[in-house]
Amino acid sequence: MFFKLDSFALMGIEAIKVAVEIHISNGMPSFTIVGLPDKSINEARDRVKASIINSGYKFPMKKIIINLSPTDLRKEGSFYDLPIALTILALSGQITSELFDCSSFIGELSLDGGIDPVKGILSMSEKAAEIKKQYFFIPKENANEAGLIKDISIIGCGSLTECIEILKNKSEINKHTHKNYIYPESDSNQYRIDFSEVKGQFRAKRAMEIAVSGMHNILLIGPPGSGKSMLAERAITIMPDLNFNESIEVTKIYSLIKRRKYGLIRSRPFRNPHHTISEIGLIGGGIYPKPGEISLAHRGILFLDEFSEFSTRHSESLRQPLENKSIVITRNNVSYTFPCSFMLILAMNPCFCGYFGDENKKCKCSIREVEKYWKKLSGPILDRIDMQIKLPRLKEEHFLENKEVENSHNIKERVSNAILMQNERYKDKEINYNSEARPDYINDWINQNQGLKKITADFSKKTLMTARGISSLIKISRTIADLEGENEIAENHMIEAFQYKISTII
Amino acid sequence: MENEEINLNILKLFYNLKIKPSDFINIYKNKKNIEDALKYFFNREKDNPKLFNENNNKSGCAGKDFNLLMQYFYKRAVFILNIAQDQYPVLLKEIYFPPPLLFCKGEKIKETGNLKIAIVGTRNCSDYGREVASHFSKELSKMGFTIVSGMAIGVDAAAHEAAIKESGRSIGVLGTGIDIKYPYENKHLFEEIIKNGSLVTEFLPGTPPLKSNFPARNRIISGISIGVIVIEAAEKSGAIVTAKSAIRENREVFAVPGNIFSDKSKGCHSLIKSGAKLVESIEDILEELGNYIKDPAYQNSIKLEMTASDKNPQYNHFNNSLLENEYKNKKNNDCAGYRNLKNFPDDDYLKIYNCLGYKEKSIEEIINTSGLDIKKVLQIMSFFQLKNIAKEKNFNNFVKINQI
Repeated sequence: MFFKLDSFALMGIEAIKVAVEIHISNGMPSFTIVGLPDKSINEARDRVKASIINSGYKFPMKKIIINLSPTDLRKEGSFYDLPIALTILALSGQITSELFDCSSFIGELSLDGGIDPVKGILSMSEKAAEIKKQYFFIPKENANEAGLIKDISIIGCGSLTECIEILKNKSEINKHTHKNYIYPESDSNQYRIDFSEVKGQFRAKRAMEIAVSGMHNILLIGPPGSGKSMLAERAITIMPDLNFNESIEVTKIYSLIKRRKYGLIRSRPFRNPHHTISEIGLIGGGIYPKPGEISLAHRGILFLDEFSEFSTRHSESLRQPLENKSIVITRNNVSYTFPCSFMLILAMNPCFCGYFGDENKKCKCSIREVEKYWKKLSGPILDRIDMQIKLPRLKEEHFLENKEVENSHNIKERVSNAILMQNERYKDKEINYNSEARPDYINDWINQNQGLKKITADFSKKTLMTARGISSLIKISRTIADLEGENEIAENHMIEAFQYKISTII
Repeated sequence: MENEEINLNILKLFYNLKIKPSDFINIYKNKKNIEDALKYFFNREKDNPKLFNENNNKSGCAGKDFNLLMQYFYKRAVFILNIAQDQYPVLLKEIYFPPPLLFCKGEKIKETGNLKIAIVGTRNCSDYGREVASHFSKELSKMGFTIVSGMAIGVDAAAHEAAIKESGRSIGVLGTGIDIKYPYENKHLFEEIIKNGSLVTEFLPGTPPLKSNFPARNRIISGISIGVIVIEAAEKSGAIVTAKSAIRENREVFAVPGNIFSDKSKGCHSLIKSGAKLVESIEDILEELGNYIKDPAYQNSIKLEMTASDKNPQYNHFNNSLLENEYKNKKNNDCAGYRNLKNFPDDDYLKIYNCLGYKEKSIEEIINTSGLDIKKVLQIMSFFQLKNIAKEKNFNNFVKINQI
C-alpha cells in the first residue's frame, strides 16, 4: 500500500519540493524513516505516534516505511511531522480528502497533537506557489509570514485535529484560508534613535548622508568617544524604507534562522557582530548552511566596530561578498547562494591607545606601532571602501550646546530622493546604486566635462590616488550630485567629494 | 700595496688577529703611512705568536674566508674605502677616531669637493618635525649640499626622502652591516639612495642593529659633515649624541626650536641654551657656514641662489633681473596663498580664509564663525587644500600653510 504527500526542504534561501512517501505492509510492527533524515526528523517517529494517539486516532501496528524524496539530499528540521502523520492516517484509512493532491503540508507536531511553528516558511510558501499548489497547510503561527505570498491559499492549523477537519470538508475550505497580509504604510517613528542626537561632527554626518544615499561603504576613524558607533547606528534611521520586494528578501533570510510569528520585516537590518565572531558566523555556513551576518545585513547595514580587532581572515573573507553582493557556500557538493547586498560601516581607532592625532590627549604609541596598526587594513579592503572619515573627539562646547540640528526624518527625505534618481538612472541596468557603478558609466559621467577631468588630475597628482581611488571619488561626486538633484556632476560636487578621501591616513 | 690588498690585510688584522681598531688608528696616525702601520702589527704578531691563533677564536668572523667576502662585495657592488685612500671623506679623516674601513654602496661618497651637512632628529617625530626636516633638506640640496643622515624612521627618513627627491644626493650612515635594511619600513629609501647617493657603514656585512652600534654610527654622521642640524630631539637621544660628537669634533651645530611643552623639543632647546645656533631659515645656516662656502675647494658645488646678501658677484646669479623674476615666480607657484586671494571664486572663500589661522581650527569652529553650511565649507576646504593654501592637520582640523 502506497501513498504520498508534498512537502518542502530548505536549500540555502530557496525551498525545494520533497515528497513524503509511505508504504505500509504486514509484518513485524516497525516505523522507519529513510531518505537522509537528520536527528530531528528521525525523532519524528515518536512525536507522530504520540500525537496521532492523543488526537484520538489509531496508530497502525504494521510495518511502516517513510521515504523523503529526493533521497540524496540531506534534510533537516522538524517540517515533516504533519505530512508524515497525515500519510499514516490516510493510508490506514482513517481519513480521506480530495485536497491531498492540490495541497502541500509543513508543520512540527507536539505530543498533544498541536502544531508548532517552523523556520523558513516564507521560502517554502513561495515555492508552493511556484509549483502551482492550491493550498498550503502550515502551523497557525507561521500564517502571517507565509501569507505574504499572493498566489497561494494559506491554511494555518493549530492542531492535527483541526487540520483533519479542514481537509475533510472541501466545500468550506475558503473559510479557513488565511487572509493575505497587507503591506502596511511605514511609520516614521519605528526607530527610537535619531540623527539629531549626534552633536557636532558635521563633516561625519554629511558623509554618512552621502554614504547612505549611494550605498557607499564607509570607514570611520576616531579616538574613543568620538561618536563612531553612535553615527553608525543612526545611519539606519536615514535610509529609505524597504519596498515590498526588498522586505520579502529580508524576511526570507530572517525566516531561515528564527521561528517567526510576525509578518513582513519593514525596517532595514542593522547588524554589528562582535569581533570574536567565527568566520562561519560572519560569512555563513555550517553543515546545513545558514546565512551569516553579512546576509542578515542584506539591504541594511553591517557595522564592524573596532575593525582592527577582527582577524585578517575575517576582513579578507569580506572581499568577495562586497564585490558580488551575494555569497556562494558549498557543502556536501551542494552550493547554496545567500544574497548579501549590504552597506559596510567600519569603525576603528587611529592607533592602539586610541589617541593618535588627538589635540589634547597624548598618544602613547610609537610611530612604528601606529604603522603596524594600520597594516591590518589591507589594501584590497581599503580599495572597496569608498569613503574614509576622521572624527575628532567631541569638544565640551559642542557637547553642551543646545542648537537645533536636523533630525533623521528630514535627512531621510533627501536620501530617498537621491535613491529615486539612481533608480531612474539604473532602470534598465543590473545595478541599483552609484557605489556599484561600472567603469564605463564612470567614464561617461566625466568625459564631457573638461573641468572635472582637470580636477581629477590635480587630485590624483596631489594625493597619489590609485585608479580605483579616483573612480570611487567620482562615484561619491555622483551621489552628491544626486543629493542636490542634479543630472550632471559639477565641479563643486567633485571638490566636496575630495573631503571624504584620505589617501594617507598617517 | 694595492688598495684591495690593504683592505684585506686590515680586515685580517681586526677579525683574525683581534687588533683593536683604535690601536690601529693610533699607530697609523703616528706612522702616517698605512703600509708601515700594517707591517708594525704583523711583525708584532710574529714576535708574539700566542695572540696569533686563527683557529682558536670565539668570534664568528674568525677564520672567515675574506676572499669570499671580497667576492660578495664585488657582486653586490659594495666597495671598501680605507683611511689612506684619497676618496675617503676628508673631514672624517680628521676626527679623533675615524673608522679605518668604510663599507660603501653608491658612488657619491667617493666624490670630494661637495659639502655635506647632517640632519638628525627623533624617530618619533611630529608633523612639524617632519615638515622642518623636509624643508631644510630640500632647500639645502637645491643649493648643492649633500644631506647626511642615519636612515632611521622619522626625521632621518624625511630628510633623506626630500634630498633624494630634490637632487638624489644623500648619504645614509648605517648602524648595521651594509646588507641589512634596518629599519625595514625604509626599504624604498635603501633602494633609491644608492642611485645617486651612498650608503656607508663601518660594520661588517651581517652585523645586526646592536644598540652599541649607533653611537659609533653617530660619530660618522657628524664626522663626515661640516655641520649637524638637530630637529626634534628628546634630552637623551641619538640626535643629541650626534650633536655632542659634532661639538667635540669642532663641527657646527644647529638646532631648530620647537614647542616648549613637548618632550621632543627639550634636547634642541638645551643645545640652543648651551650655544648651538638657533635655526629658523636657510640663511641662519649659511651664515655660520661662510668659511666653507667661500672655500675654493667647494666653490663649484654650492650655488648660492638663495643668499642674495652675498656680495661676491661671482656667485650672485641675481644680477640678471630676468633670472630673478623667474625665481620669484617659481616661489609664487610653490606657495600660492596670498596671491590667489584675488582669484577666489566668491566671497565665501574669503570669509573662510579669514577664519583660518596658523593655529588648528576644527570644521565645527569654522562653520560657527563663518555661518556657512557644511557643504560649502567642505568644498572650500578642498579648494584650499588643492591650492596649497590650507591643509588638514590631525583630526578634522585645518591650518593655513606657512609661507616659507
